[in-house]
Amino acid sequence: MNFAYDFDWSVLWRDPYGVMLIKGLGMTIFLGISAWIIAMAVGIAVGTLRITKYRLLRMIGTAYVEVFRNIPLLVQMFFWFYAGPMLFGETLSRQINRLDGLAIYVSIIGLGLYTASRIAEHLRAGFASISKDQYHAVLSTGMTQVQMYRYVIIPYALRLTIPPLTTEFLTVFKNTSIVMTIGVAELTFQSYQIDAETFHGLEATTGAMFIYLLLGMTVVKFMDLVERKYKIQGLMGR
Amino acid sequence: MIEINKINKWYGDFHVLQDVDEVIEHGQTVVICGPSGSGKSTLLRCINGLEPFQKGEILVDKTSVKDPKTDLYKLREKIGMVFQRFELYPHMTAMENITLAPRKVRKWSKERAQDKAMELLKRVGMVDKADAYPANLSGGQQQRIAIARSLAMEPAYMMFDEPTSALDPEMIKEVLDVMVELAKAGMTMLCVTHEMGFAKEVADEIIFMDKGKIVERGTYDDFFNNPQTDRAKLFLSQILD
Ligand SMILES: Nc1ncnc2c1ncn2[C@@H]1O[C@H](COP(=O)(O)OP(=O)(O)OP(=O)(O)O)[C@@H](O)[C@H]1O
Ligand SMILES: [Mg+2]
Repeated sequence: MNFAYDFDWSVLWRDPYGVMLIKGLGMTIFLGISAWIIAMAVGIAVGTLRITKYRLLRMIGTAYVEVFRNIPLLVQMFFWFYAGPMLFGETLSRQINRLDGLAIYVSIIGLGLYTASRIAEHLRAGFASISKDQYHAVLSTGMTQVQMYRYVIIPYALRLTIPPLTTEFLTVFKNTSIVMTIGVAELTFQSYQIDAETFHGLEATTGAMFIYLLLGMTVVKFMDLVERKYKIQGLMGR
Repeated sequence: MIEINKINKWYGDFHVLQDVDEVIEHGQTVVICGPSGSGKSTLLRCINGLEPFQKGEILVDKTSVKDPKTDLYKLREKIGMVFQRFELYPHMTAMENITLAPRKVRKWSKERAQDKAMELLKRVGMVDKADAYPANLSGGQQQRIAIARSLAMEPAYMMFDEPTSALDPEMIKEVLDVMVELAKAGMTMLCVTHEMGFAKEVADEIIFMDKGKIVERGTYDDFFNNPQTDRAKLFLSQILD
């Protein structure tokens, strides 16, 4: 077969391209983990709001989920990048726009807030599967609503939710590729960069694909360990 | 003392509790029975403020459950509650289940809470299971841990909502034994149960509920040997099968 194309796989390791890919991977991991931390914190808060007994809080939680879940992530990312700083008023927004690494912060926040809406939904399903008597049992010992969620209901629901959370954690890393559109030098960005400089995008993209594959498999392995440690024994059949 | 004063509760149009009246004196054991859906669980949940009710009044040691100024959390500390499906916290060991509320609500030190828990585990005969997770315990064992968890808050009252009806027959006795011991030790108890042997042994009064109303009340002998209503007669013939 003749492809009329000269393969040059050395773009995957040749100076400076090998280092670019590794830096890209580093950025991808950094973005994914940072966004995940925000997503978990906000997701738990929003998911809990959605089932509290206060109507206003429930409405806020629902509005959050609907907004973040229904707008394409790419559009959200552009919105935060271009319009986000303006939310802080004129003087502050000028300073924000001058920030070093603004696109990185925007990426982390945008990805984190989007993923939070998905975590909130999974958690809500977890809360719903816990019986009403379980909530009552906690309250009957004199614990407050806040203590009930903090010590019993949230830890319980999180354990019930480990399988869908695994998928979300994996998805965060995959979704980081979107932020190349606002100029963050993550893995996909770097493979494009290599293409621009060498015209060997095919090799660079293939390389990036394999790196994503390895990263994803590592994440799943890690979540398996988490699941094994935190799984509630014998509960799954309940 | 718990005073229930003509309470009425509706779920939408459905009148689930109708003019329910009852006084539970200190040290008494009152057994509530009645067919499914008659409002027994709802009544218990009204007493510790887990469910609101629209009319009437409930006083626990003269404190109104309905009064918006009442601190319901504080009130619940003195009313333990045990459920049909045990409702232990599945991600915690038996010891952690028992010590959670004393530590977080009473702010006891870990050592103090654990000492209390060991004393209670002894009382319910479960010392060797302190570090077990609920899923690794039988139903009867889980229910005894659940009782210990309630007792850890040193409540003045204990409410039981069909504590043995989810248990295999051979485990019922181990739970009832604990309840009998508690009643004999002077605990004030309100028990929804169809275990007539238990009622015979410790109940000061039996209440029979049907369709949201108390339709009959009396001592075990009154109720068992001389039921007044057809509804109670039918009910007794069904549970004695
Ligand atoms: N949240 C609710 N909304 C509407 N109806 C309810 C609600 N909770 C309970 N009910 C209804 O109220 C009635 C009384 O329920 P409750 O659970 O108090 O009965 P019970 O006597 O404890 O019965 P069981 O022996 O089945 O436990 C039932 O008909 C039930 O369907
Ligand atoms: Mg019931």
